[in-house]
Amino acid sequence: MNINLVFKIKKYLIVALLVAIVIQGCTKDVDFKQLDDASIHTTYLLTLLYTNLTVVNFLDEFNNEINFTQDVIQVQISDESRGYLEKIEFTVVTENTFDRNFILNTTFYDEFSQPIYQVTPEINIAENSGELTTIIEIPEEDIHVIYDAKYFGFTMILLPSADGSSLNLSDTSTLTIKSSVKLYFNYRDL
Amino acid sequence: MRKLVLLSFLIYAFGYSQNKQVLYDFSNLPQTLLLNPGAEVSHKFHVGLPLFSQLSVQAGFTGFSAYDIFADDGIDINNKIRDAVNNYGTTEFMAVNQQLEIVSAGFRLNETNYLSFGYYQEFDFLAKIPRDIVDLFYEGNTDINRRYSINKLASRAELFGVLHVGLSKRVNSKWQVGGRFKIYSSVFNVNSKLNSGSFFTEQGSNNSYNQHLDNVNFLMQTSGVFIDNGEDVDASYFKSKLLFGGNLGIGLDIGFTHQLKKQWIVTGSILDIGFVNYSKNVESYKVSGDYEVEGFQLNFDPDNPEDYWNDLKAEFDNSIVSDTLYKSYVLLRPVKLNGSISYSFGQSYNDCRFLINPNTYINKIGFHLYSTVGAVHSYLAATLFYERRLSKYLQTKITYTADPYSNSNVGLGIATQLGIFNAYFMADNLLSLNNLYNAKSASFQLGINFSIQTKN
Repeated sequence: MNINLVFKIKKYLIVALLVAIVIQGCTKDVDFKQLDDASIHTTYLLTLLYTNLTVVNFLDEFNNEINFTQDVIQVQISDESRGYLEKIEFTVVTENTFDRNFILNTTFYDEFSQPIYQVTPEINIAENSGELTTIIEIPEEDIHVIYDAKYFGFTMILLPSADGSSLNLSDTSTLTIKSSVKLYFNYRDL
Repeated sequence: MRKLVLLSFLIYAFGYSQNKQVLYDFSNLPQTLLLNPGAEVSHKFHVGLPLFSQLSVQAGFTGFSAYDIFADDGIDINNKIRDAVNNYGTTEFMAVNQQLEIVSAGFRLNETNYLSFGYYQEFDFLAKIPRDIVDLFYEGNTDINRRYSINKLASRAELFGVLHVGLSKRVNSKWQVGGRFKIYSSVFNVNSKLNSGSFFTEQGSNNSYNQHLDNVNFLMQTSGVFIDNGEDVDASYFKSKLLFGGNLGIGLDIGFTHQLKKQWIVTGSILDIGFVNYSKNVESYKVSGDYEVEGFQLNFDPDNPEDYWNDLKAEFDNSIVSDTLYKSYVLLRPVKLNGSISYSFGQSYNDCRFLINPNTYINKIGFHLYSTVGAVHSYLAATLFYERRLSKYLQTKITYTADPYSNSNVGLGIATQLGIFNAYFMADNLLSLNNLYNAKSASFQLGINFSIQTKN
């Protein structure tokens, strides 16, 4: 056989092989529908409320003891995360040097100032308690109220003393409250 | 709607890296002049088939492949996403570059000079995504004291047309030099670079935690994205912007080929030394400042009710200043560098005359370095190549490249010259051909020219 012919055949075989490699690009099995099962669980931590209450907060203008004091925050929570927020977990840290017990009550109000949700349980703060941490969770089925709420109301209730005594201006006790919230998101339908 | 159309286009088309290691210095193709204006050319003239003389597409993501996530292997996709996030580097980048030569031609002016010119359209996208951003999205911010930084966050997207004219000149038997002048016409540009700032949470003093936005400096410049109301964004809009109705700039390519010894050749080029002045439909966004918050301090003072939410918002707005700018800006084009050294061997045999041609070789091996240098991103790729002339009509090139995507990128190019008909096809990442989904990057170039070669 002509040696040149052999070389030529070899050349064209190489080319054919290379072309075959290039055009035979293939893929292994993939399933893009798996994306339907994908979910990303992300947790964001936000600093929240704090306060440092003294006896003045529980006395009226005549220095008579009052049994509760209130404050309110107007909020504007965007709807964008609705459907992805799965759990809300409040962490409240209290420290009380008063010889009195307190209850912290949190209520959500709608745009007409009507109560739509009360956070439970209420936080009981025992007299002369050191640093106490309370964790409160809003269950998934109630999370929609966060988006419906326009005001968050906080009521600090001063419980009566066991011996009938009242607070007076000379009392230097303090009640400190610190808080944060963890928002648990589950991003589905990516 | 027009804004939406353009933004959608931005989202769908990304790109950048532009290493054409197979095409570089391959087979005297006219398109090699775009990679090295000082490349040797053996044509009397060439004309590219309009719209088909070069189509080039490159795409890649250094983070993970589609197969890493979507392999049909029975493993829960959420575990695969977690693995991909765990393996994510400090910063990964996503890139696509697309180039379409509309017209291309050239002719020999005399024995030593070859003039070439043409017009091509190009789209570039690059996004550098730092791990901190991924972790903040994927895990959240419960890691106290960890700083989530945007320092390496950068992106760029651009669609533009380029008119070019270049001259390749043989200085003597050892040196060939060349230059190419370019006029850029940008349809749109988006870029964000040199950002800084971090977000972190630390233990607080008045409250449990103190949260910070620290030294935030973010700038995103856009041009041609937000269009004046009077302009319609349709095909004629893109056409006019591509054809010098857009933001204009100029650039220069320079290159050389040096015959070191009879069989040794050194080449080099610097491409896109230039700039574009963006002055039309400019809208840029700047965010800067520092902010820290411990939360809402409740006063429980019914006599002095406070607007806590709006006070906090006002404090934030005063601390983190957000501006919209309409000032024109100038951007340097990212400079690309090519350099190669090659050794030719195996003298060709003329079958008809039964003679060995002492001046032509059928094999060439060599080493090619490619780099881009830019404010947004720099990139380096090293390639070993072997080129072989299989016949008078057919030439092939095999490359092995290490780059940020892969250390085992094998490429292949084939070029044919049948009479005046010249066609080529080249692709890389051939080792991933058995499973394209597993490739972190891929590219191809193809084209058809008509050319007449000078007689050797």
